[in-house]
Amino acid sequence: MTARPLEKYMKADAIRALKSGTLVLELGAFSTRVKLSDRRSVAFFLDMYADCLVTLGDCALSDFSLTVRPPNQFRKYFRHQVVPDPGFGFPAAPLPVSMSPLALEMGLNLSVALQCFRYAIFHAGVVAEGDQALIIAAKSGGGKSTLTAALMEEGWRLLSDEFAILDLEEASLRGYPRPVSLKNASIDVVRGFAGKDQVSETLHGTPKGSIAYRRPRRGDIERMALPARPRVIVFPAFTEGAAPRCQEIDLADTAMQLIASSPNYQVIGERAFTGLMTMLDGMKAYEIEYGSTEDSLALVSDLWRSHVS
Amino acid sequence: MTRRRRDIKAFFCIATGRAGLPDTPSDLAAFVSWAQESHILGQVAAVVTAEVGSKLYDILENARLRSSYDRRMLTFETNRVRRALMGADIQPILLKGSAYVAEHLLAGVGRRVSDIDILVPEEHLKETEKLLGQAGWRAEESTAGAYDQQYYRRWMHELPPLRHETRRTLIDVHHRLLPRTSRIRPDHLKLMADARLIEGSDLMVFSPTDRFIHSAIHIFGDGAFETPARSFIELFYLYSDLTGAERQSLMLRAKDVGAETPVREALWMLGEYFDIQAKGGKAPWLLKWCIRTVTDGQGGLVYLANALLYVRSHYMRMPLPLLAGHLWKKALRRV
Repeated sequence: MTARPLEKYMKADAIRALKSGTLVLELGAFSTRVKLSDRRSVAFFLDMYADCLVTLGDCALSDFSLTVRPPNQFRKYFRHQVVPDPGFGFPAAPLPVSMSPLALEMGLNLSVALQCFRYAIFHAGVVAEGDQALIIAAKSGGGKSTLTAALMEEGWRLLSDEFAILDLEEASLRGYPRPVSLKNASIDVVRGFAGKDQVSETLHGTPKGSIAYRRPRRGDIERMALPARPRVIVFPAFTEGAAPRCQEIDLADTAMQLIASSPNYQVIGERAFTGLMTMLDGMKAYEIEYGSTEDSLALVSDLWRSHVS
Repeated sequence: MTRRRRDIKAFFCIATGRAGLPDTPSDLAAFVSWAQESHILGQVAAVVTAEVGSKLYDILENARLRSSYDRRMLTFETNRVRRALMGADIQPILLKGSAYVAEHLLAGVGRRVSDIDILVPEEHLKETEKLLGQAGWRAEESTAGAYDQQYYRRWMHELPPLRHETRRTLIDVHHRLLPRTSRIRPDHLKLMADARLIEGSDLMVFSPTDRFIHSAIHIFGDGAFETPARSFIELFYLYSDLTGAERQSLMLRAKDVGAETPVREALWMLGEYFDIQAKGGKAPWLLKWCIRTVTDGQGGLVYLANALLYVRSHYMRMPLPLLAGHLWKKALRRV
């Protein structure tokens, strides 16, 4: 059975498969069986993942299985809640059912972060020009996702908003183009330049504030199998009103920061170390600080031009 | 869509390398999901091979990478425990996964482990805790409260779990096999008396027969069957490692150490799922029903069977008045 884009299936079939846990999402290096129980997350999935390859039926093997379900029978009827269940008893906090898309996205992140050992995973956004990648390392409040979404408008393709997925044999990054998660003020910023229909509706009052998702584009998904060799890594810092600034940092420090952001580096062990060293060899790393999206784009574009093309 | 009934017995055959993988894609998918849900992919990966480049290969390779970390971690931590106790006159006995890995048993290959279990004589408990403390093992945060600390020390068969302050690994220090309040009281001193040194090490393990008996006690005398497939495969491998003579005298030894009931139940399970017709296998009908339902894992009654097994595990662990008091405390803490 071959996978087809989700939107090519009859809507009713896709919904039935999602609800019975017989839909497998084939995205990048991972196949994930997804089971959803509420209408809102189903609608979100059908919309945001419309261009993604999926299989329906009980024949496909999957790396991960994710269920988004009520935490117990009681919570199905009284103040309906949902919780992402990646299948290994992870103690995720229940969310009101109105936030089920967040539970779904968190669950997909947990699946990769805690169950993938074939690739070294680092917490970062990745965009690429052809087969040359830029890593945007995660720092709380740094604006990783906003910058990722802004770079998509500049013609970069999205590999992932959440994970740098490192192939340890080839020292290249693998694509996993899922919706880009936007928080608070950045939601309207991205709606502004990407267009309203590219961003999901906003979930208000979540534990992380307001959240909305910018969908990956068809081109991102069509080219996801093309690995990219990382050339530059930036550690972004958004500071209100700051003048743009950029400072090169040592690759050893870069390695330490990436390792600290990795959920599976320790488990993989020595191969993760050698893979990371091979990846960093010849790369340039910078801390960049900025007060606006325009400034961040200008900084990145300067760095990229001086090192890559 | 209704799922087809799964043939769990056939699944156990495949998972222990006694049968090949299913031919049809849907049967293969059903088997792999079962292995994933049951947390035994590592064990499966140890006996099954797949074509390079296939999805199955990826899945098994991923499981192999994970379980090889568990083995490295366990081997390293075992070494640290030895070091921590060096110079003291304490010879800990490795239990369960730690022992299987140290002895390179089939039961240890591919097994997911999260903690290390050791058994020391009760009179050495204080000293052991002190020495492990000096080596960095502190009371685990979730049970560091006064009530839990006191509860463990007063009623349980082990110290409150200790977590290493930098490596975050967990160690359970046992001084007997089941809680002091348990309904069955296996004679741990008899098992300890027959323990032996691991070749080339100064750590000890139970004899092969006692290893099986202890596993049966742990699973049938104490457990709530959270991962039945994993437990049953463990018992299968431990039993397979016994010689003919050891199997002959198994029931005798079980009676001698006061573990007749759980061993009979374990032998019943081996007959039920692995076609091993051992003498003495026997289990009450309700337990059989619960285990069959939970192991099958499908249908509306799983919830009930799990609930019954959960109640049973508490019934086995402590007398009712103590249980009532304990649950009361726990309920208060939640409010």
